[in-house]
Amino acid sequence: MSHAATETKGARGPAAAVAGAAGAVPPTGVKRFREARVAWIFLAPFMIAFLLFLVWPILHGFYLSFTDQSLTGAGGGFVGGANYAEAFGDATMWRSLANTVLFTLMSTVPLVAIALVMALLVDTGLPGQWLWRLSFFMPYLLASTVISQIWVWIFNPSVGAANELLRAVGLEPIAWLQNESTNLTAIVIATVWWTIGFNFLLYLAALQNIPGHQYEAAELDGAGKLRQVWSITLPQLGPTTVVVLILQILASLKLFDQAYQMMGGISSDTTRSIIQYIYEAGFVGYRFGYSAAISYVFFAAIIIVGILQAVLLRQRKAEK
Amino acid sequence: MLTTHVNRRRFLSAAAAIVGAGALGACSAAQGADGRILQFWHLLSGGDGVTMAGLIDQVNAAHAGFDAKPTVLAWGAPYYTKLAMAGAGGRAPEVAIMHASRVPGYVPGGLLDPWDKELLASHGVGEEQYSQPVWDKSHVGGELYSVALDAHPFIMLYNKELCAEAGVLDADGRLKATGTPEEFLALGRELSAVSEGHGMSFGYLGSGSQMWRLFYTLYCQQGVAMELPQGGEAQIDEDAAVTALEFMQQLLDGEVAAAQNDEDNAIAEFATGRSAILFTGVWELPTMQKEGIDVGAAAIPTLYSQPAVYADSHSFVLPRQMNADPELRKMTYTFVADLLSRSTEWAAAGHIPAYLPVIESDAYAKLEPQSDYSDAANHLVYDPPAWFTGSGSNFQSDFGQTVQSVLMTGSDPRPAVRAFKKQLDAILAKPNPTDPEGEWSA
Repeated sequence: MSHAATETKGARGPAAAVAGAAGAVPPTGVKRFREARVAWIFLAPFMIAFLLFLVWPILHGFYLSFTDQSLTGAGGGFVGGANYAEAFGDATMWRSLANTVLFTLMSTVPLVAIALVMALLVDTGLPGQWLWRLSFFMPYLLASTVISQIWVWIFNPSVGAANELLRAVGLEPIAWLQNESTNLTAIVIATVWWTIGFNFLLYLAALQNIPGHQYEAAELDGAGKLRQVWSITLPQLGPTTVVVLILQILASLKLFDQAYQMMGGISSDTTRSIIQYIYEAGFVGYRFGYSAAISYVFFAAIIIVGILQAVLLRQRKAEK
Repeated sequence: MLTTHVNRRRFLSAAAAIVGAGALGACSAAQGADGRILQFWHLLSGGDGVTMAGLIDQVNAAHAGFDAKPTVLAWGAPYYTKLAMAGAGGRAPEVAIMHASRVPGYVPGGLLDPWDKELLASHGVGEEQYSQPVWDKSHVGGELYSVALDAHPFIMLYNKELCAEAGVLDADGRLKATGTPEEFLALGRELSAVSEGHGMSFGYLGSGSQMWRLFYTLYCQQGVAMELPQGGEAQIDEDAAVTALEFMQQLLDGEVAAAQNDEDNAIAEFATGRSAILFTGVWELPTMQKEGIDVGAAAIPTLYSQPAVYADSHSFVLPRQMNADPELRKMTYTFVADLLSRSTEWAAAGHIPAYLPVIESDAYAKLEPQSDYSDAANHLVYDPPAWFTGSGSNFQSDFGQTVQSVLMTGSDPRPAVRAFKKQLDAILAKPNPTDPEGEWSA
């Protein structure tokens, strides 16, 4: 590649930004080239990692989804849309997708609502704030393997704490993780306990940013505590709720590790998430091509969710 | 705010330390203490892992030329995924352990190299040193692809104290023989009368393997086979399958065995002396001996027309290497042959050694209760061969998925058997991903 080519290419890219930041005087050609080169050198480590570990796998995965590539190296021939056709007719694929969506619904609501309640309670000025913050956030720091172990024991049908609790209040014990009608709920409970600290922290930070004089003013006007929460706190938490919701939905859609681990690697029809099915199709069933096709079906589903979110947000802003 | 700064010098020295450690690690991997490194992957953990480590040390000490270096990976799908990928990349370890039932799934994809029978025979390992079922299972398409270390059947452990109390031991102190399902259930009721918990413990909830092991034993005892031809329909004898499941339902009546029990809990029930019989793999034997239970062991009795015992084997395989080093390959044969000849210790862990000279040795005959069930080696049944079956495969967990509710609720097994057959038909109809051209119809 000639220098001239590099220069023109560079000038449109980061160099322009660098030049803009440098000041009003537009740099001369040589200087611009030097700055562009420096910018590219600084960007290179990221760009290489980005291309190698994100862009390339995405493109290659898309290509694989049209082949019958196997994990063992066999196959690899072009099969057209056969993998996609199979995926759309695959009951297990739909079931796994439905499980993931169901999990997202079941987990997002408590993970947002309870986090908000916890943050509100802590913000009322309970003594020992740091202790509350720490204990609510601590589970979030644990590895998924650790929380899975903890909850497998809690949900143990004969000696688990969950059933002890049920027995204490006179209810029948439940085989939480073995019973198909309760195992997804059990995973939701464990997940809420595990990750709620993050949302809690976001809400707490937002609460502490609400200026105190607004409450003082409201109090002078005779507003009670509940009225203050309703008319001052909640409206100001709106933007935070949007962020929490978006992050939470994306996190819940990624369900895999805790479900896989808590089920002991067993793939149950009621807990198999779409990511687990991608893993099973590719690594256990050796079918990389098919597995890639399911990944892209899921990818498309997430993009649809993303677009829906964006449209809804824009509408809300427009209403305001 | 985070105020501790990692300064540049500290960062650089830490980075240098990491790089340095990596380099040292690479050096030690290239050359062992007294010879060339023989990479050996296996999936044996717990007590089995300790025994295996001891055997490897013994073999290493006996040979100056090589130093076998074990890498232990998590049992089940994670292990087989990694081994398959290593073989697919052609940079696999020199030798690995696989379940014999998984080998047919690996061969068509070219993930394994066959053993040279002549070279193996020169080390004293050949057909004469193996029982027929084990030797047959080691072959795929006429070639020897695995060399079995053991057979680990699904057996019954029994609490001699409780059995004596119930009067079900024979003159030699062994569990009395039963020959029909009715006799066996009657035995269970006699035992439950003397046990605090149940007569027998069978943990199955959430464990497809446990359900499959007992089911397939009972199914094969009826003199029928299960065949899974690629591209064809699954051959399952529906009546025999229903009979086996109905018997399991009778077993799980809440008296003979708990109606709903998982594997860990069943083990705990037996280990604390609250039940007299445990259905389990041989590998639980050392645990029970350590618990201080006077434990006996027996193969699952023949309740139908012919003896059959579900089993699998830990077998040595040669994962495919793109550029196999001939010298290392030869050393691998020496390593495997020598380890086999020392497998009496492996028997202490409960497994039946596959290498007959060990079984016929005095040392083995003295091992009680291991030698009581060694005869099972002649009636072993392995998973029906297909690319998707075997220990730790989805096949066994899918089976569990389908029949668990039948066992839990006592509902009619026939629809579940049909549903399972339908699932298998669907898998068989798709091309084998490790052999899309269908060159191997194993």
